[in-house]
Amino acid sequence: MTRTARTARRLAAAAVTVGVLATAACSAPVQTNQGAASDRGGNSSMLIAADNGSPTFDRNFNPFSSGKRNTATYIYEPLVIINEMSGEETPWLATGYEQPDARTIVFHIREGVTWSDGEAFTPEDVVFTFDLLKKHPQLDLKGVWSHMESAEVDGQDVVVHLSAEDVPAAQIISQSLIVPEHLWKDVPDPVTFTNENPVGTGPYTLGEFTPNQYTLEKNQDYWQADKVAVEELVQPAANSELDIVNNGYDWAYAFMSDVEETWVKADPDHNTYWFPAGATIALIPNMTKAPYDDLDFRRGLAAALDKQAIADKAMQGYVGRASQTGLMLPSQEAILDPDIPNEGYVDQDTDAALEHFAKAGYTQQGGKLVDANGKQLTIRITTPNGWSDWLQGVEQVRGQLGELGIEVEVVQPQPAAYQQELRSGQFDLIMGTVGGTGQPFQDFNGILGAEFNRPIGETASGNFGRFSSPDADALLAELKTTTDEQRQVEIAQELQQLTYDQLPMISLFYGGSWGLFSTKSFTGWPSEDDPYASPKTWDSTPLLILTSLEPAE
Amino acid sequence: MRYVLRRLGLLVLTLWAAVTLNFVIPRLMPGSPTDAAIAKLAQNGPVTPAVQAAIEAQLGVPGGSWWNQYVDYLGNVLTLDFGVSYTFFPQQVSGLVAGALPWTLIMVGLVTVLAFVLGTLIGVGAAWRRGTWVDSLPTVGGSFLSAFPYFWTALLIVFFLGYVAGWFPTSGAYSATATPNLSWQFLGDALYHAALPAATILLTSLGGWILGMRNAMINTLGEDYVTFAEANGLRGRTVAVRYAARNAILPNLTGFGMALGGVVGGSLLVEQVFAYPGVGYLLYNAVTNQDFPLMQALFLMITVSVLVANFLVDILYGILDPRTRR
Repeated sequence: MTRTARTARRLAAAAVTVGVLATAACSAPVQTNQGAASDRGGNSSMLIAADNGSPTFDRNFNPFSSGKRNTATYIYEPLVIINEMSGEETPWLATGYEQPDARTIVFHIREGVTWSDGEAFTPEDVVFTFDLLKKHPQLDLKGVWSHMESAEVDGQDVVVHLSAEDVPAAQIISQSLIVPEHLWKDVPDPVTFTNENPVGTGPYTLGEFTPNQYTLEKNQDYWQADKVAVEELVQPAANSELDIVNNGYDWAYAFMSDVEETWVKADPDHNTYWFPAGATIALIPNMTKAPYDDLDFRRGLAAALDKQAIADKAMQGYVGRASQTGLMLPSQEAILDPDIPNEGYVDQDTDAALEHFAKAGYTQQGGKLVDANGKQLTIRITTPNGWSDWLQGVEQVRGQLGELGIEVEVVQPQPAAYQQELRSGQFDLIMGTVGGTGQPFQDFNGILGAEFNRPIGETASGNFGRFSSPDADALLAELKTTTDEQRQVEIAQELQQLTYDQLPMISLFYGGSWGLFSTKSFTGWPSEDDPYASPKTWDSTPLLILTSLEPAE
Repeated sequence: MRYVLRRLGLLVLTLWAAVTLNFVIPRLMPGSPTDAAIAKLAQNGPVTPAVQAAIEAQLGVPGGSWWNQYVDYLGNVLTLDFGVSYTFFPQQVSGLVAGALPWTLIMVGLVTVLAFVLGTLIGVGAAWRRGTWVDSLPTVGGSFLSAFPYFWTALLIVFFLGYVAGWFPTSGAYSATATPNLSWQFLGDALYHAALPAATILLTSLGGWILGMRNAMINTLGEDYVTFAEANGLRGRTVAVRYAARNAILPNLTGFGMALGGVVGGSLLVEQVFAYPGVGYLLYNAVTNQDFPLMQALFLMITVSVLVANFLVDILYGILDPRTRR
C-alpha cells in the first residue's frame, strides 16, 4: 500500500532535480545566436542566408548530390556562367568556346587555375568530370549526356562531340561543375559520396563546420583572388524571417511581405532589396481535353483576365504581370519581337472575351456563361496546397471569371500529388512555371516541344499541356541546328509570336526572386540598374556576385 | 499471470497490424518521392527535364510489386534496416533517427514526466481543498493555458522571451558554433536551448493533468470508504493520498502511458517553431518529402512505443486496481 506513495515521492524528487538543473542552465554563460552574429571578424566577414538547415546541416558538399549544401557551388565552378535572367554568358573556367559546326563544341580551358589543395587545374579534369557523369547518370543534373557523344583533350582545349546537330547544347554542357580528377578518381561510389572536405577551384573553401553553422573562407590562391573582397562567409542553419531582420544579415534570399516595414526598417541606411521578375507563372490548359483544346476558348480565357490585378494579389505588388510571349521582361527585352503588340501583355477586355467564348460555343444567359445545352461552364484549376502566392492568384482568377458567369472549382493537392498530376497530364487547367532559363531553345522547347509530349497518364518532363504544332516543331528543330546568331534571334521571335497567338499557356505573372542585401559592409550588389546576376543564392550565379562585391567605404 | 499473457498476445497482434498499416498508408499517398523532390525544387523556379531524370535515378524509387516490397519491408523491420533516406540522400535512416531521438527523448520526455507529476500533485491538492484558492487558481489558470493552441504559445514565447527580451536562444538545440559532446559546458548550453521549448510544452500540458486529477479525485472523495476513513480519524494526508488519490489516479495514469508512448513522436509543432532537431521535425520532413523509408522507420518507432507503453500501463493497472485482472 505504501508503494504508490513512495513512487510519488521519488518522482517528486526527480522533478525537483530537473527544476534545479533547468534553473542552473539558465544562468550558464553560453553563446547565443546574437553572439554569433556579432562575433564576425569586422568588415571582411559576411552573414548570409544562402542555405537552410532542416533543422541542422548535413555535411554534404558533393556538388552533384540532391542533398548537397547549396554553397557547394561556391566551391566548384562551371566552364561558363549564364545569367538566366538575360541569357548573358560569362566565361569562367573556360576562357571561351567555339562551335565550328553544329555537332562540335571546342572549349578553351583557362590556364593558371589551381585546385584549393595546390594541384593545377587541367583540361583532363574537365574530360574526367564529363566521363564521371556518363558513368553515373544519377549525377548528371544538367543532362549533358543526352546531348554528348564524347569529349577529348586537345592541348589546352576540350573538344566535345555531340550526338546530333545541337547548337543550344553548348549552354547546357558549359554549366557543368568541374571536379578534380586526382581526388575523385579514387572515390568508390560518387553517388553516395558526401565529400566532407571539398577541394574546388572556387573563391571559397570550407572553414569550420558544425550542424548549426558553417563558414566558408576565402581561397587565397583563387585565380581571380583580387576580385574577392569578402574574407569569410558565415552561414547559420536557422534563418527565420525574424532572424534575418534582427541579426544583421548581409545577404539573404527570402520573400518578406511588407519588406519596407520589416527588412528595410531594421537598418534604413543600409538594407536594400531587389525583387526582379523570374520565370513566368501561367495557367497551363490541357490540350487533349475539350474545351481547352479550342483556341477561341483559350483566347477567351486570356482576354477575360486582368493579369495585373492577379499579380498584385499574388505577388503583393513586388512583381508585375507576365508577357504572353513566354519571355521574362524587361531582362529579355533584347530578343523581344518588336512586331508583337504591347510587348505581348494581353489586357483585360471582357467584350472580346465574350466574343471568343461565343465562337467556342459559350454564351451568356442570365448572368451565366452556358454551352449549347444551357449548362453553365465550369472550369477546374489545380494549384499546389500551401503555395499561398499561387493560391492568391488563382482566387483572383476565380473572381474575375465568376463575373463573366463561369464557375471555377479550385483543387489543391499536396505538392507531390500536384507534381504527379502536372507531369502525367491529369488536369484541366493547372498552375505552373514556364521558361526561366534565359535560353530561348530550352525555354520554348519546354513550352511547345514535341520532344516532351507524352500521352496522358505517362510522365512528361516538359510541355505539360501536351501542346502540339508542326510549325513550332519545325522552328525548334531549326533553332537547334543553326549556328547563325542572327537567325537564332529571328527564330526566337517567331516562337514568341507563336506562343502569343496559340496560347499554349495563359501567362499570369512573373515569379519573383527575393534578394535582400545590406550595404553596411559590402557594396556592388545586383540591382535594377545593374542586373548582372539574379539575387539567388544557389547554383553558379552567386559567383558573379561574390566576385563583384567591394568593401563599403 | 494469465492476465499478462493475454495482454502480451494482444500486443503482438496489434504490432503486426500496425506494421502492416505502416507499410500501406505511405504508399496510398498521391505522388512519388521524385514528385515531392521536384515540387520542392520547383518552388525556386523551373526544373529542367535533366534534373528530373537525375533525381529519379539518384533516389532509385522503389520498384517491384507491392507484395515483394512488403516481404522486403518485413525483413527490414526485423533487422531494423530501413535503408537510405530520400530527403537526406545519401544518409542512412537509422543514423538520422539515432541523431534526432536523444534530443526529443530528453527534452520532451523529461517535460512530459514533469508535467504529469506536477499536474497530478497539484490536482490532488486542488481537490482536497476544493473551493479555496488552492483549487481555483490552478484550475482556472490550467484551463486557461491549455486552451491556447500549442504553436501559438510557442510563437508568443519565442517572440517575447527570445527576440524582444533576448534572454533565450530562438532556435536550435545548442549554440551555432558548438559541436555535440559530453562536456559540462555543452550540456549547459543544450539545457539553455531546451528551456523555451520545454516551458511551452509544460505550460500547455500542465492544465490537462491538473483538471483530470482534480475531477477524478473529487468523485472518489464522495465515496463511502473515504468518509469511513475520515470518520476513523485518520490523518488528512493519509486519506487524501492513500485512499482518494490512489483510486482517482487511474484515468490520469492511462493518459500518462499514452503521453509517454507519444514522446518518441516528438512534439512536431514545438520542434518546428524552435527549429529543434528532434523526431517531430524529422517526421515533418519525411512526410512532406514523401520519404517512405524515413516515414516507415519513424511511424514504426512511434506505434511500437505507444503499444509498449500501453501494455505497461495495463500491467500497472492490474497492480493498482485488482478488479481489472479478472
